[in-house]
Amino acid sequence: MLVSRLLDAVGADAVKFAPEDLSVYAFDGYTQGRAPSAVVLPRSAADVSAVVKIAREFGEPIVPRGAGTGLCGGAVPIEGGIVISFARMNRILELDVRGRRARVQPGLVNLDLSTRVAAHDLFFAPDPSSQKVSTIGGNIGTNAGGPHCLQYGTTVNHVLGLEIVDSFGEVFTTTLDGAGYDLTAALVGSEGTLGIVTSAWVRLQRLPESVRVWVAAFPSIDAASEAVSAIVAAGIIPTALEMMDRVIAQAVEAAFHAGYPTDAGAILLIENAGFEDDMRACEEGLYRIVHANGALSWHTARSQSERDALWAGRKGAAGAVGRLAQNYYLQDVCVPRSKLPQALRAVEAAAREHRLIVGNVFHAGDGNLHPMILYDKRDPLQVAGVIETGNAILSSAVALGGTVSGEHGIGYEKREAMTQIYSTGDLATMARVRDVFDPTLMFNPEKIFPSGARCPEVRA
Amino acid sequence: MTPSSVEELSDVVASCNRSGERIAIEGGNTLAGMGVPVRAPYAHLRTASLTAVVEDAPTDLVVAAQGGITLRNLATQLAAHGTHIPFDAPLAHQATLGGTLAAGWLGPRRHLYGRPRDYVIGSVAVLADGTIARAGGMVVKNVSGYDMSRLYVGAFGTLGIIAQANMKTTALPPHARIFIAPLPEGTRRRALASVVSLRIAPAAAFWVEGFHQSIDGEDGHEGRLIVLLEGSAALLERSTRDLRSALGRAGVPETQILDTGAREAFGRIVDAYVSCLGERSVTYRISAHGQSLVDRVLAARLLADRFELRADTLADAMNDDIILRVSDLDSHALGAKIAMFDDAFHDDEPGATVVAGAHPQRASLNVWGELPDAFDRMRALKARFDPNGTLNPGRFIGGI
Ligand SMILES: Cc1cc2nc3c(=O)[nH]c(=O)nc-3n(C[C@H](O)[C@H](O)[C@H](O)COP(=O)(O)OP(=O)(O)OC[C@H]3O[C@@H](n4cnc5c(N)ncnc54)[C@H](O)[C@@H]3O)c2cc1C
Repeated sequence: MLVSRLLDAVGADAVKFAPEDLSVYAFDGYTQGRAPSAVVLPRSAADVSAVVKIAREFGEPIVPRGAGTGLCGGAVPIEGGIVISFARMNRILELDVRGRRARVQPGLVNLDLSTRVAAHDLFFAPDPSSQKVSTIGGNIGTNAGGPHCLQYGTTVNHVLGLEIVDSFGEVFTTTLDGAGYDLTAALVGSEGTLGIVTSAWVRLQRLPESVRVWVAAFPSIDAASEAVSAIVAAGIIPTALEMMDRVIAQAVEAAFHAGYPTDAGAILLIENAGFEDDMRACEEGLYRIVHANGALSWHTARSQSERDALWAGRKGAAGAVGRLAQNYYLQDVCVPRSKLPQALRAVEAAAREHRLIVGNVFHAGDGNLHPMILYDKRDPLQVAGVIETGNAILSSAVALGGTVSGEHGIGYEKREAMTQIYSTGDLATMARVRDVFDPTLMFNPEKIFPSGARCPEVRA
Repeated sequence: MTPSSVEELSDVVASCNRSGERIAIEGGNTLAGMGVPVRAPYAHLRTASLTAVVEDAPTDLVVAAQGGITLRNLATQLAAHGTHIPFDAPLAHQATLGGTLAAGWLGPRRHLYGRPRDYVIGSVAVLADGTIARAGGMVVKNVSGYDMSRLYVGAFGTLGIIAQANMKTTALPPHARIFIAPLPEGTRRRALASVVSLRIAPAAAFWVEGFHQSIDGEDGHEGRLIVLLEGSAALLERSTRDLRSALGRAGVPETQILDTGAREAFGRIVDAYVSCLGERSVTYRISAHGQSLVDRVLAARLLADRFELRADTLADAMNDDIILRVSDLDSHALGAKIAMFDDAFHDDEPGATVVAGAHPQRASLNVWGELPDAFDRMRALKARFDPNGTLNPGRFIGGI
């Protein structure tokens, strides 16, 4: 019945309902949920609207899905329902070169946008390491970050307006131009719980005149993180300031031969971009600081191909780690940047306690940690250890004044952790927004809000 | 009412909400000319005693301060560490952090440094029922639930009072330089186009006509061009060369340069956004996105001319913003025309908003321009956050 209504509404080629087709939609980069009852691949906002109306009629939840690279279960249909996949809505609809903005469909792959506007000397700044596959819709859903968000800010700073289908199937638009509540800000990072993005106006940046990439090696993670804190404290915000430890560097070198030293305790990958003369001054400042913090070596990438190789290694780190262990669990927390050394010591201690190996590769300049805990999921003891280590890292980040997710989002995974940083009243305030957009919790249920604890009504 | 702690603020608001008393929230009153005055009768709630810097963490490049602190005081504290937040809000000695954010103020350097909202990383808001709601934190990246802090930005206090804002900071540019060039006939379009497409974007660029008492420089035949450069000494040197040759090609002769006093001159431009000539002026703001800035300014000036109103215009070329101040000899003369001008102007520029003007008729003008597409949702949000209409009732769009 449901399926036939969907078929009538959006056409046979836009609906999947065979069990073998549905099972892949039970997963994202974090976990597995239930297989959905149907998957719809819309071509337009009108298709999405029709599907939402049908879903409401049948009382089926809806889970919007980009590339499914999310790392917190955000795109997983926990309660089943209908998955809306944006694989077919992947076009650039308008490009305003002079105004440096573009209107894009949500299924557009992040890197494709930058590649396609490069001819106009433009690029899209948010660059999650998953950018070769993750989509603009998913990036908006999670307010994705990336190495270059250090200087340019996360996705929310690059979205100028949205076209949204609400949970009653109505289409509306939001914009940063003109007066009104900033609904764009509320929707970005809402992980598909408030509305479904069917197109977005995004801001594009001018490609910089000059780019430099440096690699600094340190004897220890401690020394490298002290250096990061010192760089930020000196007011230097390069375009990217990434760290990887020996575990990761060795894996990356084995997989890509990217050009990282493999004998250092930790490595900083630093990029700055802009005006040529400023690069020189910046390099001098960085050089002084890293050496004052015990750097073993300092290397300037000499060519575009060397820079590309270093970045490919950095962005491919997660894949490379696949060679080291059967499985890994990637934690994502953010701490004040001066607390990096303590936060990394806490990671190390937590892993040691459970005799697990951790690799660190992360957005150091933002204080955004990504410890990768290696394990073998066939060993229940290790699995239990990973969960405890992950939780310990989370709690220590909160204790240091940090947060439970820097960029991957809350999704299903971290909803109970929300109470570590927010009071019931804080969460109830967020729930008021949900009430307005999705009062029946039809969009992406069981996400973000802690189970049970959801919104004890706050009324005057 | 001038509460001096967040708890006291919460108590005061909750008790008004219970008794049905409406509240007009007042920061520095510098942007009182935006929007409609709050529906009377109401109690005044001043944030003037909420001025603490709650957490100053210069080594993290973040700061948390209470909503009533003035931008000047906050800037002074940040400048001591060599950092700043580019609010570009008028009358910084009087404007407050909370008020500037609540009004969603947008300044001329945002194309380069981002909007004030892009610096917000957390908040403490007091809602109509007295709830003290925290969101975000003191870290620069944080995806934990809805971005409530940014939702209060630009909401004019109608969803909640910004009791505290946590902000990113950034390094203060070491040098600033201002160029002022009177524009000879036939140079305006080329001059603006060449400035906008400079390889190294200037921090701000304006085409000004009028505003003689407030903004530096003399108009040429087509007004004057004012460009702000900021950055290292080397960057200024390079940008100066580029700018000079671009202006030369556009036919603009040698210009006046200000190094000392450049920031003050820039401050005067920002102040002009809301400058009033007593009761005899009304100032509009429009965003000219996508279409020719010059054409729209000329059309606006022509319209003012048709109504025999004096027009002072300030066009921000980097962001395509236009400020239009129309004035007449006295309040009475303006009063006779302003309603008709307002109608005619909104026919051309449906999105035009009023940002300043002490004329008694101001409130009856179409001060917010056309309602946004998502207005119904905004009204629903207001109803969910402030069902009794306690906070700044009537001040915002569509009577919210
Ligand atoms: C190897 C690897 C590296 C990564 N590196 C980074 C990184 O550097 N930075 C970072 O931030 N993340 C990173 N991630 C996480 C992930 O890639 C991001 O969260 C990304 O934004 C998800 O995009 P997606 O298209 O895969 O979305 P999905 O995983 O499909 O969905 C993500 C969320 O957005 C919602 N959503 C999707 N489309 C829409 C829509 N059209 N409307 C409304 N909601 C929607 C979903 O319901 C879900 O809640 C990485 C992941 C992997 C596997």
